Amino acid sequence: MPDHTTPTPRALRLGVCGPVGTGKSSLIALLCRELAATLELGVVTNDIYTDEDARFLRSAGVLDADRIRAVETGACPHTAIRDDITANLMAVEELEADYAPLDVVLIESGGDNLTATFSPALVDVQVFVLDIAGGGDVARKGGPGIERADLLVVNKTDLAPYVGVDRDRMVADASAARSGRPVVALSRTDRGSVVELTTWMLAQLERHRAGALVPADPGPMAPHAHAHPHDHLHDHVHA
Amino acid sequence: MTPSPDLLLMLLADARLPVAGHTQSAGLEPAVRDGLAAAHVPAYLRARLRTVTAVEAGVAVVARAHLLDGRPLAPVEAAWAARTPSAAMRRTSRGQAKALLRLAGRLWPDAPAVRAVLDTDAPSRPVALGAVAAACGLGAAELARLVGYDDVQTVAAAALKLLPLDPATSTGWVHDVLPDVEALARTVRDLDSPAAVPASGLPQIEAWAETHAVSARRLFSA
Ligand SMILES: Nc1nc2c(ncn2[C@@H]2O[C@H](COP(=O)(O)OP(=O)(O)OP(=O)(O)O)[C@@H](O)[C@H]2O)c(=O)[nH]1
Ligand SMILES: [Mg+2]
Repeated sequence: MPDHTTPTPRALRLGVCGPVGTGKSSLIALLCRELAATLELGVVTNDIYTDEDARFLRSAGVLDADRIRAVETGACPHTAIRDDITANLMAVEELEADYAPLDVVLIESGGDNLTATFSPALVDVQVFVLDIAGGGDVARKGGPGIERADLLVVNKTDLAPYVGVDRDRMVADASAARSGRPVVALSRTDRGSVVELTTWMLAQLERHRAGALVPADPGPMAPHAHAHPHDHLHDHVHA
Repeated sequence: MTPSPDLLLMLLADARLPVAGHTQSAGLEPAVRDGLAAAHVPAYLRARLRTVTAVEAGVAVVARAHLLDGRPLAPVEAAWAARTPSAAMRRTSRGQAKALLRLAGRLWPDAPAVRAVLDTDAPSRPVALGAVAAACGLGAAELARLVGYDDVQTVAAAALKLLPLDPATSTGWVHDVLPDVEALARTVRDLDSPAAVPASGLPQIEAWAETHAVSARRLFSA
């Protein structure tokens, strides 16, 4: 159990990014549905058209509507999560102030391309979401989010048989591209995978509360790295 | 050695300044939705410079003067609010001030002007700009040019997203209204009291701002 006697300075900030339509909003709705009874949550969305994601999440009814805030990006979703994070930081801080103390603020990036990841100045930890129906090759293509986000989610695995993708193969490719960083093969219809996801998130919250979570930048397109001597190896989620 | 006013002005007018400038269209998005076309944008720029932007520049100059002399800010804020009848525009301005002060508190943490504005409740953007000018030694005329120039560039940059354009065209618009920016600076540079700030609203821009604030599927915050 979290040690509530040690006050934490602020909520864990969890970023969810990945290409358009891969299931970012659905994943956030899922986390809210699973955890809103036990944790104080807030959500910030960054859609290209401001409030689509926020409206989807509000209509999902998983969280009080005012805990879901939309940030405009001026058609620059990449800028808003990476170069000039001001608007997002202001929204997160306002949520934290309005509902103090929050445990977790979930931030959804605007659907962008494979190179878009969050600045570590905005989020403590980030999830990159891929759609299995986008094709088994995507995981092999790599990029900063796929290779180095704290967690890679290969989503909608229930669709694999319909789109001719070998789920296990895609997860193995992704794990190889990630030098062993965690991968969750998720489907909202697969209870076990949902538990894997929430377990991972709760572990990040524990690390944050213990002061052991150091935000890491997945980076821009960077030279390929090999072994990872640090503690990532200890929190694998086995798919 | 303190940096030259030229360099400070470049820093503050640079679109790369991290103050969420990419979220702003200076009212252009609702105007375009209501039928404003590319050909109207130069007139839109000039209309703003003579009205809402003149208020903003005037308030910034007066705020700077008040902060440099240790005079109270409340009358300056009141003059700004009285000249900004749109609640949506006041909200936008306060949000922009917050973004700017977040940066100013890091760049000039000990400047009394910045501290004074950080201590007030929900300051407006021109008052925050006045504090930045006071903190970094920017003159009144430079400050007024900054306000005018930033407004023009905000519209021009948003036009590239909202209207299909050759960027050389929109940069030409900016270039061509520089004399208007200079004229604005001349009008407000010597202002010293809140009552002297131009009271020049533009009801159509205010109405658009109100519509935008409640519209779905916005690209820009305002
Ligand atoms: N079959 C299946 N569909 C899913 C699953 N998760 C999400 N979807 C569907 O995928 C579509 C896109 O989901 P969203 O959550 O809106 O995706 P997003 O990444 O937020 O999209 P943008 O914000 O537009 O980039 C929706 O139709 C979801 O219902 C899943 O586990 N299985
Ligand atoms: Mg979404």
